[in-house]
Amino acid sequence: MASKIAPSLLTSRTYWARPISAAPTALTASAAKVPKATVPLVHRSVNAHINGAQLSSRTNFTANNTAFSQKRFYAAPVYKASPDTDVTQPPREQDAYKLQHHDDISSRNFAYFMIGTYSFIGAAAAKNIVTDYLVHFAASADVLALAKVEVDMASIPEGKNVILKWRGKPVFIRHRTAEEIAEANSVSLSELRDPETDADRTKKPEWLVMLGVCTHLGCVPIGEAGEYGGWFCPCHGSHYDISGRIRKGPAPLNLEVPAYDFNEADGKIVIG
Amino acid sequence: MFSRAAYTTGTRAFRAPSFAQGRMASTQAGPGPFGADRKAAIAWFTKAAAGSAILGYGVSNYIATDERIAPLSKALSDSVNALQKKADDLGLKLPFTVAHAFSTADHGLHPPHYPWDHYKPWKTYDHASIRRGFQVYKEVCSACHSMEYIHYRNLVGVSHTEAEAKELAAEYEYKDGPNDVGEMFMRPGKLTDAMPAPYPNEEAARAANGGAYPPDLSCIVRARHGEEDYIFSLLLGYCDPPAGVTVREGLHYNPYFPGGAIAMARALYDEVCEYDDGTPNNASQLAKDVTTFLSWASYPEHDERKKMGLKTLAISTMLLGLSVWWKRFKWSYIKSRKIVYKPGKFDEV
Amino acid sequence: MASAIARTTYNLFFRRSSSYMVGIFASAFAFEIAFDGAADRLWDSVNKGRQWKDIRSKYIEEQ
Repeated sequence: MASKIAPSLLTSRTYWARPISAAPTALTASAAKVPKATVPLVHRSVNAHINGAQLSSRTNFTANNTAFSQKRFYAAPVYKASPDTDVTQPPREQDAYKLQHHDDISSRNFAYFMIGTYSFIGAAAAKNIVTDYLVHFAASADVLALAKVEVDMASIPEGKNVILKWRGKPVFIRHRTAEEIAEANSVSLSELRDPETDADRTKKPEWLVMLGVCTHLGCVPIGEAGEYGGWFCPCHGSHYDISGRIRKGPAPLNLEVPAYDFNEADGKIVIG
Repeated sequence: MFSRAAYTTGTRAFRAPSFAQGRMASTQAGPGPFGADRKAAIAWFTKAAAGSAILGYGVSNYIATDERIAPLSKALSDSVNALQKKADDLGLKLPFTVAHAFSTADHGLHPPHYPWDHYKPWKTYDHASIRRGFQVYKEVCSACHSMEYIHYRNLVGVSHTEAEAKELAAEYEYKDGPNDVGEMFMRPGKLTDAMPAPYPNEEAARAANGGAYPPDLSCIVRARHGEEDYIFSLLLGYCDPPAGVTVREGLHYNPYFPGGAIAMARALYDEVCEYDDGTPNNASQLAKDVTTFLSWASYPEHDERKKMGLKTLAISTMLLGLSVWWKRFKWSYIKSRKIVYKPGKFDEV
Repeated sequence: MASAIARTTYNLFFRRSSSYMVGIFASAFAFEIAFDGAADRLWDSVNKGRQWKDIRSKYIEEQ
């Protein structure tokens, strides 16, 4: 491999890999030959002692600073640095800045702890910023206020239908009689197109709450009509039974049951 | 190529030294023009700023009050006026204008600042006061003023329970419909209904009030200069017109109202409402409560907003402190490094 | 001793990025609950008697 590398390159690599202390004499000689006279110096060396350690560098000024001139630095070579010193180690004089009873592990733990604290407070803040912005996509208070409709149960006598509007759609509420409940329960599931028991469709058997929208093409069925004693859609002739289940006609599904609840204390049905 | 400059990489063992230390260590610069170190420089600047502030205040005060200078400024303004007059005669427009005196009669008397508790950054509205204020609105103001953006549901959890709000709503009948046969019908109010409007439309309101339109009160505190202070002062500010001021028939003199003549008659007198929580019902208490209520109506999000803001400030302060620490941590290597010159093995000649 | 605790802490929480991140998210969760709770308590004590929840009891039993 080595033979394939151009000799000049090989030479240069070898040259730079060599320790500087063993650099060719020609090179050091040229540095050494810099005549002192080229730098007209007002020489003032600064030697500082910190905790007994002597600074090995000197800073030389070419001129004193006056009101109109800047201090100019001329960096002199460090005379006393040993060529064998590993420069990746901090020089000894920096010991002056070291803490007296310093523990590497505690220091590292402290730094990780601080950054971790910064992160988790930041994470909590970021989460709140995001959620606070997402809240703007939620339904506004006036929409939510209209999203529920209350009906007084006492105002609907047994065996009567009530139609009311909820979110722009009609809602059928029927207060069923005992015979009607028995009739709804007597139907076997195998006869049904969309099999659902009556218990699945009601929370209390006396109260049937459904969306009054035909599952065929969205007409409003007529109550107490049709071959099954329930609802009949005048548009295309779908027949629903007393539980609102499709029995005959083009509609594929039973009438939809919305979310609703009973407010027993006030005797009300709350739709929505 | 003669030499190699190497950077000490530093380790975590090094904490950032203070700025002063770092600078001294890196350049041996000695005292600067503002003192030996940063502390001295800050002290220097603080003293300089304080000194110039005192000096400037003294000098400007002296100039402003000195009677020897007064003729000078008068001569200046006279010459400007003369120039303006010349320009007016010639039909020219000058890039400066002559100031006109401010008239309290035209703009309304500036209301004093009252110590509203909810002006403090950490205070919510006094909800008992909102409740009393709603009572005043309902019994007095609502005879002429609508509040079309405040619904009964807005009162729930603010000043009334849900049951109370439903009861209040049901006192009025609202038009609804159409029903199954396409007719509109009247039904008792629900939580989703707004405060009942006293007049069907603006024309009816103007006709009933001598041409003046009682403004909707939903956002009135936000919509008037002086906000709460103005509303409160206006409600109690009715008095006899001063000498030389005549008020047209049907109007009333109120110095806080721009122009001084307001169509609204004084509405709040002592004991026009009866509070059920035992609060004294003199006119100023009524005015304070109804102003608080109207302020809430204008800023219904006020309490939540303040709480959120204070939380945000607390979190931001923590994050600011930590980011200052973090910056110092990251910069400590740079601030505390020392550049060392490592020569080849040769002797200085 | 102190060094042993520090070393254990380091090995438990900081040594691996995974455990560090888990710690951060768990702390964020706990911090949010604690901070919100403390802020609400402080807010309610500063505004004692002014908020609806303080005067609500006066009106709820009438109904």
